Amino acid sequence: MNARDHILGRIRAALGRTERSREAARAEVKATFDARTAGPHPLFDADLAARFRREAERMSSTIDEVAALADVPAAVARYLDARALSRRGVVWPALAGLDWAGAGLAMETRAAGDMDLVGVTGCFCAIAETGTLMTCSGPRTPAATSLLPETHVAVVPMSRIVPAMEEAWALARSEIGELPRAVNFISGPSRTGDIEMTIVLGAHGPYRVHLVLVRGE
Amino acid sequence: MRSQAMFFKARAGDKLADRQLQANLGKAKSRFVEGRAQAVVDYDAAPGADFEALRDAASAIRDRVLANLDVWLETFEDKARARGAEVLYARDGAEICRLVVDIARRHGVTKAAKSKSMLSEEAGLNEALAAAGIEPVETDLGEYILQINDNEPPSHIIAPVFHKSKEEVAELFARTHHTPKKDDIAGMAREAREVLREHFMSAEMGISGANFLIAETGSAALVTNEGNGRMVTTLPKVHVVVTGIEKLVPTLEDFSTLMRLLPRSATGQRISNYVSVLTGVKGEGDLDGPEHLYVILVDNGRASLVGTEFEPMLRCIRCGACMNHCPVYQSVGGHAYGWVYPGPMGSVLTPLYTGIENALDLPHASTLCNQCGVVCPVKIPLPELLRKLREKQVDLKLRPWRERLALRLWGWVAARPALYGFAARTAVRYLNRRAGGTDRIRALRAVPDWTAGRDLAAPEGRTFRELYAERVGHEGRTKR
Ligand code: SF4
Repeated sequence: MNARDHILGRIRAALGRTERSREAARAEVKATFDARTAGPHPLFDADLAARFRREAERMSSTIDEVAALADVPAAVARYLDARALSRRGVVWPALAGLDWAGAGLAMETRAAGDMDLVGVTGCFCAIAETGTLMTCSGPRTPAATSLLPETHVAVVPMSRIVPAMEEAWALARSEIGELPRAVNFISGPSRTGDIEMTIVLGAHGPYRVHLVLVRGE
Repeated sequence: MRSQAMFFKARAGDKLADRQLQANLGKAKSRFVEGRAQAVVDYDAAPGADFEALRDAASAIRDRVLANLDVWLETFEDKARARGAEVLYARDGAEICRLVVDIARRHGVTKAAKSKSMLSEEAGLNEALAAAGIEPVETDLGEYILQINDNEPPSHIIAPVFHKSKEEVAELFARTHHTPKKDDIAGMAREAREVLREHFMSAEMGISGANFLIAETGSAALVTNEGNGRMVTTLPKVHVVVTGIEKLVPTLEDFSTLMRLLPRSATGQRISNYVSVLTGVKGEGDLDGPEHLYVILVDNGRASLVGTEFEPMLRCIRCGACMNHCPVYQSVGGHAYGWVYPGPMGSVLTPLYTGIENALDLPHASTLCNQCGVVCPVKIPLPELLRKLREKQVDLKLRPWRERLALRLWGWVAARPALYGFAARTAVRYLNRRAGGTDRIRALRAVPDWTAGRDLAAPEGRTFRELYAERVGHEGRTKR
């Protein structure tokens, strides 16, 4: 008997599975998918942006705010200069339309590599409860851009801040249907606490995450 | 990994005498305990939030899947296959190893980058890969430290080097990387990052566990802080997920509920840095992601718990809170337990997965104080399960003959009130004499092991029955 039949067979025997109960179980699965009941969770006040900021800072992200998308390149340049970070980097194809060169930045639109120091991305939406970015992988929004470079800068339109993960899923279902290959929830720079439970920022992913909130979007 | 659980007593003794280990354990435990407590207080402070309601909801989610596990697994399979994943099953550790080595050979893999997977420890996967000429590289910082320290086993399920000091790590790095010895943790982390980055870029295969499988979408969810989980599932062309059949949750909403519990219970974080929900293979036009995805669903003892009194154990989400809060774990550390899973959850799982007769001490390595039951995010009644395992040992006649005889004798005496009263009186007088006027007895010949680690409190003076008789006598008189 192959492993699958063996394991499923043992589970069925343990559950006393019959054709009848199998039908009932299938109906329950369908009902569960149809209902998609959210579990208990906190209720947030109207000011999602304030909550998002607070929580993101708690997770060691830094935050800037601009009036419109067109202001983003200058804000990114300001951030990089203030920390003496490289002006070169990679940017999501989805953000290729912004005038990076105009702000004095050399941003390439391609997959991120090991040597890239700065990665600029957008986000699918952002979650107020935990100060988290949600990114969805795709040809115009590759996953590695927010992972390989030491500095990750993300553009966050304020209209895309939702209360919790549940609302983020609902948005994904209505706007993209099927989940993309990788949904990444990112909350601040990578870190490790493995040695003596002491947290240090910058494990395998970025050392720093900077968020540029965009009001007009 | 071969279980050493039968040597618990001896190993626990060694660990108690290990000063360095005791110092390391002392430093680490309070961070976890305080971190979780603070996280719960913070969570409850938000309007509408109730951590207890969250625990109830989470255990209901886990039970819903277990009640129809076969049908949920079939549902997951269908969804995952539709997205291009190959779903495989493994009965035991040997089968995991065979499947992974086969996959590696099929794709010409010479190096596999691994993010932490306890199941790969269960299976001894690293040894199997190495034997097949494939280089396994652990990329979780803690697991990496263990690997370069001659494949030392982990001592905690989420903090594998819980037992090590930074000096020990610094020496190990200097020795292995041939670099000057560092004295700061950030420097050590950077050094490991640089070494491991090259492995991420060159590995043809990534191996990860899954914290959860989501039936609705056929996805595997991975929770990490370091980002290594993202690396091994984004860069190599082949990704293999090795995970237990019990890891399923029905919907993305259910997953969201569990994600409110897991990081808080594990490290006291509100959320882990990276939570990835991975579905299928690289799509058309995608710039990254694996071209091949395999999901290996493992039994290795799990199916035999379904429908039994031990089924609640399958709700476990591997947060580690039970061991963090366990006074026994805090005293002896994880290695004493002898297999992959330490602490209360390990004391339940090890005998169930590796044979009751192979881990006789573990169900007794607990005071049944229920700290673990109180903090478990999915409300597993750990002390009750430990007690059931003790009962099973007695039923199977696995306890030592002296213990069995003593219990029989006690039972016989207890059924004879006059004799029992006499025996209790005699014992109390004897113990009082041994205490010699103090309130402690330092050593007792009948149970030398027991008194080697602790004092026995001396009885107060008279037996309960004597005191009771006197009191009834008094009251009888006043009433009359
Ligand atoms: S038994 Fe409960 S507390 Fe222990 S690891 Fe599992 S889920 Fe966490």
